[in-house]
Parts: sequence; structure tokens; C-alpha cells
Amino acid sequence: MAHVTTKKQAMFKMIAFGAASAAIYGTIFQNANALTEMFSRGGYYAAGPIATVFLVSYVHGGFASNLWSALGIEAKRTVKTAQPTQTKRPEVRATLNA
Amino acid sequence: MDVALDSLKFIDLNTSSIIFLFIVGFIGGLVSGFIGSGGAFVLTPGMMSLGVPGTVAVASNMCHKFPKALVGAIKRFRYGQVDIKLGLVMAASAGIGVQVGIKIQNMILDAWGQAGSNLYVSASFVAVLVIVGGYVFYDAMKSRNSTGKDETPALAKRLQSINLWPMIYFKTANVRISLWFTLPVGFATGMLAATIAVGGFIGVPGMIYVMGVGGLVSSASELVIAFAMGLGGTVNWAMHGMVDIRLTVIILAGSLLGVQLGAIGTTLVREVMIKVVMGSIMLIVAVSRALALPKYLAQLGLMDIAPERVAIMDKVSFVIMCAALLLGAVIILGAMFKARKSMAGHEEAVAQA
Repeated sequence: MAHVTTKKQAMFKMIAFGAASAAIYGTIFQNANALTEMFSRGGYYAAGPIATVFLVSYVHGGFASNLWSALGIEAKRTVKTAQPTQTKRPEVRATLNA
Repeated sequence: MDVALDSLKFIDLNTSSIIFLFIVGFIGGLVSGFIGSGGAFVLTPGMMSLGVPGTVAVASNMCHKFPKALVGAIKRFRYGQVDIKLGLVMAASAGIGVQVGIKIQNMILDAWGQAGSNLYVSASFVAVLVIVGGYVFYDAMKSRNSTGKDETPALAKRLQSINLWPMIYFKTANVRISLWFTLPVGFATGMLAATIAVGGFIGVPGMIYVMGVGGLVSSASELVIAFAMGLGGTVNWAMHGMVDIRLTVIILAGSLLGVQLGAIGTTLVREVMIKVVMGSIMLIVAVSRALALPKYLAQLGLMDIAPERVAIMDKVSFVIMCAALLLGAVIILGAMFKARKSMAGHEEAVAQA
């Protein structure tokens, strides 16, 4: 069953992911020149920018997702019409009425 | 620790350039989340207008594109719109298309130089966007007022009826078609991606009109193709040290917000809106690129035009390109707003009843 996040839960998650995202962005821009120079060396250093964008996309992506949920902007829930559950029909048994 | 950067390769960032990249990233992400591609065509020239060298602009753009596509694909997968098998099959043939596209580019560059290459890129832009974009827009306008679901196009129906081994069944798309008919679509997507950086302008219409996949699943599965191609391209560029991580993460900050909003939008609006947005953007971008043609024709000595006029046309071309993206975003947000309003009205009526 899909877990439905409430607005309050989304708000908490947004704050947590937002703080983590701010920390990552802060670290990147604190060391912007050093990182840019290191990641532009090529070769095995190519792993640097790729790992960075994966990390940013997870953390900042989590923040973005919860931000829209906290603001009440969510996907339309597909309403499935409730199918009547098939119940086993009682077997007809021969009874003796004495 | 302060390290001096190579000023020929990396620009100095200021507040206005950061805001510009963030906003373009957001709008590009919104459009990508909705139609499966877009945004990249404005970001590369946009970065170049800030003074970023062409190769660094392309590399940094590509490095932001694949994580954005991944996030968008995951989101839309949760909505049941992504056909992973379709995306991977298309991505495999698109990979070959990219390699061929790069070879053709290099051949043109060797034969006619940078101006020849630019002319080829712009002419491809105009030809593809006018023909494909024109048809998408025409089809969108035709089916705009119909209330039912999209019908399978005649060409797709015909191709699906040909039982040519090996036949593949795409479950989410609910399409059974021969592998041979998927290959040209994927190949053309890759070729276009290598030429104009937006393969989705061929990929999505190709999946809709040639293979018979619905607009929603096509645009969502395009994100899988964009992820696979973007990751491959980024590894290549990063190995050559061309990625400016500062530019990439700034654009990513905006585009991750946009791509999720665009993905949410697809669940709120009618499916035909994907075609409306895609057709509109393609046709306006075609006008923008057509304005760039005289400059390259003049550089090759095939046309006589005053340099001042070329400079004006260049600026107008860039503004029109930004306007195309902006218009796409306005249509998406407008349609989402309208859909939410009507949903709220409906819920209220149900509550009162």
C-alpha cells in the first residue's frame, strides 16, 4: 500500500532535507575554486562531479519534493472505484428438519 | 583554501549570473518534467552569453541534465507513467545515433570550419522543429477539444500490425511492436541530441506517432533516455575536465524544483497539453534559430549582411529562445492552476451534496 505523507510530515522532511541541502551547497561554495579546479583535472577525477550531482539530486531533490507537498501541490490521486469483494457463497447443504 | 581558477575556462560568478542560471534551471526543469525534454537548448547559449566557453557550457549543462532526468523519471515512475523497458531500448539505439551524430559534426567541422558546423546545427534545428513541431502543434490543436483519450495514429497502427521478429511488448505503454521500428526512432533521437542537444524533440513525437505510445508515457520514458544519454555524455566530458561544478549545481538547484513541479503537472492536466506545450516551444525555437542562419551564411561567404544587423538578429534570436521556454512554463502553470481550481470546485460540490 502506498504511504501517503501528510502536510505536517512533509514539512518536517522539507526542513531536514533543506538543512542538509543548505549544508552541501555551503560546503561546495565555501570550497568552490578548489573543487572546480580538482574536478577539471579529468581522468579519474571525473568521478567527482558525477558523485556530487548524485548527492545533490538526492538531498535537494528530497527537499524539492517535500516543499511542493508541504505547499499542498501534489499529484492527482487516481481514485479507483471500489470493486465489491467477492464473498464465497454459502454452500447449500441438505439439512434435516426434525 | 583559495585556489586560482583558469580564467579562460571558468568565469567569475556574480549574483545576477547565479540568479539567471537558477531561474533558467527552474523553468527548464519545469518544461522537462512535463514534456520529457527541453531547457537544455536555452541553457547552453545562456551560459555562453555569460562568457562561459562553449565546451564548458555544453559539459556543465549535460552534467545537470542527467540527475534532473533521473529525479523526474523516478517521480513519474511513481505515477505509473514510465515504461523503463521502452526507455532503455530507445536509449540503446540513441547511443548509436549520438556517435554517428558526433562523427557527422566532426566531418562538417573539418570540411567547412566552425561557421559550417554552426550552420548545420541551426539548419537542422529549423528543419526538424518546423516539420515535427508543426505536426505536433497541428495534432494538438485538432485533438484539443476532443474529450476522449488519444487514438493510436494510423502509421503506428500499421507498424504495430506487422509481425516482424523480434516483437517487443512494452507493458506500461501497452504497445507491441517490432524492434526494427523502434531503432530508427531511437537513432534519430540520438542524432538530434548530438546535433542540437535536445533529442526529445524527435524522441517524444517519434514514440507517439511512429510507435503509438501515449503522450504521457512517451514524455515520461523520454526522461529515462535523457538520463542514460546524459550520464554517458557527462562521463565523457568530465574525463576531459570540462565540467564547471559551480554552474552545474546552481542550475540543478532550480531544475530539481522545476522538474518535480512539471511531473506533478502531468497528473493534473489533460494529456493533450503535452503536445500543446511541445509544439508551441518547437515552433518558436524554430523562428529563433532561423534568425541565426544569416550570420553563418555570411561567415561562409554565401550571403551579404551588415554586421550590425547580425548583432541585432543574434540578440533577438536569444530573446525569442528564452520566450519559447517561458511560454512553455506559462502554459504548464496556467493549465495546472486551472485544473486545481476545477478540482477544488468539484470537491466542494461533492462536499455540499
